[in-house]
Amino acid sequence: MTNCIEIKGLCKSYGDFSLQNIDLSLPGGSILGMIGENGAGKTTTIKCILNLIHRDAGEITLLGHDNIREERLAKQDVGIVLDECFFHDTLRPRDVGKILAPAYHNWDQKLFRDYLDKFHLPEKKLIKEFSRGMKMKLSLSAALAHRPKLLILDEATAGLDPVVRDEILDEFLGFIQDEDHAILMSSHITSDLEKVADYIAYIHQGRVVLSDTKDNILDSYGRVGCTAAQLETIDPRDVLRTRRGSFGCEALVKDRTAFSRKYPMLLVERTTLEDIMLFVGKGETQ
Amino acid sequence: MTGLIWKDFLIMRKTLKSYLLIMALYAVLAYLDILNYGFIITFIQVALMVLPISAFAYDEQAKWDRYAMSLPMGCRAMVGARYLFVLTLSLLTTALGLASIALLTLFRAEDPVEMVVTLMVSAAIGLLIPSFLLPLCYKLGPERARPFLYAIIFIPTIVLVLLFKANILDLSILENLDVLTTAQLIGYALLLPLGGLALLALSCLVSFHIAAGKEY
Repeated sequence: MTNCIEIKGLCKSYGDFSLQNIDLSLPGGSILGMIGENGAGKTTTIKCILNLIHRDAGEITLLGHDNIREERLAKQDVGIVLDECFFHDTLRPRDVGKILAPAYHNWDQKLFRDYLDKFHLPEKKLIKEFSRGMKMKLSLSAALAHRPKLLILDEATAGLDPVVRDEILDEFLGFIQDEDHAILMSSHITSDLEKVADYIAYIHQGRVVLSDTKDNILDSYGRVGCTAAQLETIDPRDVLRTRRGSFGCEALVKDRTAFSRKYPMLLVERTTLEDIMLFVGKGETQ
Repeated sequence: MTGLIWKDFLIMRKTLKSYLLIMALYAVLAYLDILNYGFIITFIQVALMVLPISAFAYDEQAKWDRYAMSLPMGCRAMVGARYLFVLTLSLLTTALGLASIALLTLFRAEDPVEMVVTLMVSAAIGLLIPSFLLPLCYKLGPERARPFLYAIIFIPTIVLVLLFKANILDLSILENLDVLTTAQLIGYALLLPLGGLALLALSCLVSFHIAAGKEY
C-alpha cells in the first residue's frame, strides 16, 4: 500500500537554520503527530510538503504523486489547515465556498454547508466577528468539503479551548476511520497527540531525533527520578538525556523495563511526550 | 482561477459599491453639464488603479498567498487571477464609459468622437499603470510598491510639462489630428488600449517569474 506521505532525504537551508535529511512516512488510516520546539523545523517541513518553499534536496510524494512534478494532482486530495485562518475578515463562510469550489474537482457545497451547520458557523456572518475557535472550524470545514484523503494540519488546535479542541480531535478520529485517509498534524499540545496520534516524529534543530509509533514510545520510554549521587552510579549508555535541578535529578531512558531490571533500586515512571520534549530540549547528554 | 477572481471582487465589494455610486453621481453631473465627461472617465480609471493595490494589501493582511499556494492551482493561476481581475475592472469601466457616451450622444446630441478618444486614452492609462505596478507589488509587497504608483503617474506628467515649458515638446503636432477622418481617429485611438493590453500581458509574464521565485 502506498504511503500517504513519503519524505526522503529532505534538506532545506536558511543559513542560520537547516532541515537535515528528514525521512518520514505516513501510512493510510493513521495520524502522524509532529512535535518539536518553536523553530525546530515543523512548519518548514510542512511548507516543503506543500511546495511553498524551494527545498535544497530530497523527494516528497503525496498520495503517490510527486509534490512538485505533479503538484496540482497531488494537492487535489489534500485538505489543509494551517496555524491561522487565511480567509479575509470581510468575507463570510458562504463566500469561502464560492472561492474554493472551482479549485477542487470534488468540492461538495452541500457537505461544506453540513460542516458549517455541524460546527454552528453562521453562513452569513462576517469572519472578522468569529472567535479563533470558529475560524479554525471554518478552516477545517473548508479543508474537508472536497472529501480529501490526506489532511495536513499545522498547529491547527493551538490557542483553542479544551472543548473546541476535543470537538476537532473527534472529527480527526472520524476522518481516519477510512483506511485510505491519513493526517499529518504538527502540534505543541502533546496531550492532543497522545490522544489521537498513531505515530510520533520529534523534530529537534532541523533533524528527526525520534520517530516511532506512539504506543512504542509511551510503553518503552521512562523517566527516572534520582539524586545526583545515584545518577553518577548509572552507566551513561543506559540513559538518553539527564536533567539536574536543585531538588534532584531526572533521566530519560529508552527501555524502562530493561532499566528497572538493571537498576531495581531506582524508580522508573512512564513518560509523556512533553517529558521527552523537555529532556531533549532542556536536558543534557550524560 | 475563477474562484480567485471572484475572491478579489468579494473582498473589494464595499469599495466597488462606493465607486458605482460615485460613477452614477458623476454621470448625472455630466448630463447636467456640471462636470466634463473627459475628467470623469479619467478620474474613474485612475481611482480603479488603486483597487489592485488594495487587493494585494488585503491579501497580505490575511496572509492569503500562503494559503492560495497550498491549493491545487499553482502560482500561475494565482498571478493570472489578479491580472484578470484588473482586466475585468478595466473592461467594465470602458463598457460603462461607452454606455454613457451613447446616452450623452442620444439625449444631448453631443459629438461622440472626442469622448471615445478620451475614453480610449484613459483605458490605455488604466492598463498601463497596473502593468508597471503589479510586478512591483509581487516583488516588494503592496506597502512598498504604493509610492511607485504616485511615481508612475506624476513623474511622466511632470516631465511632459517641463518639456513643454522648455519648448522641447511641440504640441502643434496635435493640430495634425484635425486632418484625420473620424474613422482614422477612432481607429488610432483604439490602438492605445490594445497597446496597454499587450503591455499588461508582458507584465503578467514578469509577475509569473517573480511569484514563482518567491517562498510563501
